[in-house]
Amino acid sequence: MRDMIIPGDMVSDKPLRIANGFIQNGKTYSKVLGVYDAAERTIIPLEGSWMPRLEDSVVGIITEARPKVYIVDLSYFGRALLIPGKYDRYEFQPGDIISALIKNIEGKNTIILEDPKPLEGGTILSIKPKKIPRVIGKKSTMVRQIAEYSGTHIVVGMNGLIWLKDGNIALATEALLKVEREAHLSGLTDTIKNFLEKNKSE
Amino acid sequence: MGSSLNKPELVVDGKRLDGRRFDEIRDLKITAAPLKNADGSAYIEWGNNRILAAVYGPKEATPRHLSDPSKAIIKCRYSMAPFSGLSEHGRSGPNRRAIEISKVIKEVFENVVVLSDFPGSEIDIFIEVLQGDGGTRAAGLTAASVAVASAGIHMRDLVYAVSAGRIDEHIAVDFTMIEDNYSDCDMPIAVAPRNNEILLLQMDGEMTKEQMSEAISMALEAGKKVNVAQRNALKEAYARAGEEKN
Repeated sequence: MRDMIIPGDMVSDKPLRIANGFIQNGKTYSKVLGVYDAAERTIIPLEGSWMPRLEDSVVGIITEARPKVYIVDLSYFGRALLIPGKYDRYEFQPGDIISALIKNIEGKNTIILEDPKPLEGGTILSIKPKKIPRVIGKKSTMVRQIAEYSGTHIVVGMNGLIWLKDGNIALATEALLKVEREAHLSGLTDTIKNFLEKNKSE
Repeated sequence: MGSSLNKPELVVDGKRLDGRRFDEIRDLKITAAPLKNADGSAYIEWGNNRILAAVYGPKEATPRHLSDPSKAIIKCRYSMAPFSGLSEHGRSGPNRRAIEISKVIKEVFENVVVLSDFPGSEIDIFIEVLQGDGGTRAAGLTAASVAVASAGIHMRDLVYAVSAGRIDEHIAVDFTMIEDNYSDCDMPIAVAPRNNEILLLQMDGEMTKEQMSEAISMALEAGKKVNVAQRNALKEAYARAGEEKN
């Protein structure tokens, strides 16, 4: 059973330490507009910005190349830095697109990245960060089927940026935006499959 | 502006000029998320008030020296469109009145938004009065609250605001422009409904202690309807998204 909740709504009369909730006077309230899953005790937000977590895979654009550090734009309100290690042998220019993993979150809003992979050419699509889990799908079924039908190479960043290259980019973009619009509906993988099949032949 | 010399009759046969009872608010309709470009938005029709609120953020704070590494900063801009008003009100641009209202609304949101969740960021709230007819700061704040919630920004409560005041010996809520100008006292109140915490209280005019507590309790009672309208707007916005598929 899932109920829609609004900021300030009580989700439990016991103090629960859960994401997107807060505790006051021994009771738990929601901080966000979302749905509450009572069985799993989770608050699923419907809107909002990306909250970085360790090991998240992200897509970003190098904005500045300084000696020993690159500054990366992840369309996030904090800063993201990429510090090359001793044995890393890459060199980036401002404007280059990379995918990387979050190694550490320093202070409160400085992200340290590691394991960068250059993404050459292609385009970037921006999706609401809260819809990204849906774009990936269970065991990446969703993104895999979109890549398969459109023949596009797709890299999804948890921060809401998606990199696309080759194949039918228009079809892939259309499908990804459809996922974003209909993320709250069930049976989405099949809907997208039908959509892809119908539009591929044209 | 109102003066005691040309004060019109505000109470006719025990009812107000538009036929409302003293504890009755005007028709209220809120639409959540009408703007696509903004992170969150809301449009409110409250009596003859027409107000659009938009929220951007959290984003990188600019200028940099204003950013706070431990929490978010909030910027608020209330403004009236040049065509919004009756005579004196509705001058465009940042005049004394607009700056004051922006400041008090900003302070309301600093108390409900969980600022520490977005360190070093900035949240922009824009309130644009398209047509004003009394109580625009209350209506603007009510809309802005829905807009902040629809942006997915962490907040502890969904605040609403409503005006209360005194017409002669009658205590009433939700004043129109005419009542606002000629009444004896006008008092906008913003409330966090969970614990009925008062986050904004401004008063223009005079009331006794008893009249004031009556006005506050009347405003809290009327506010329940405002709160329901806000909640329905948010729920509708997401139900509407579900219908588009069919």
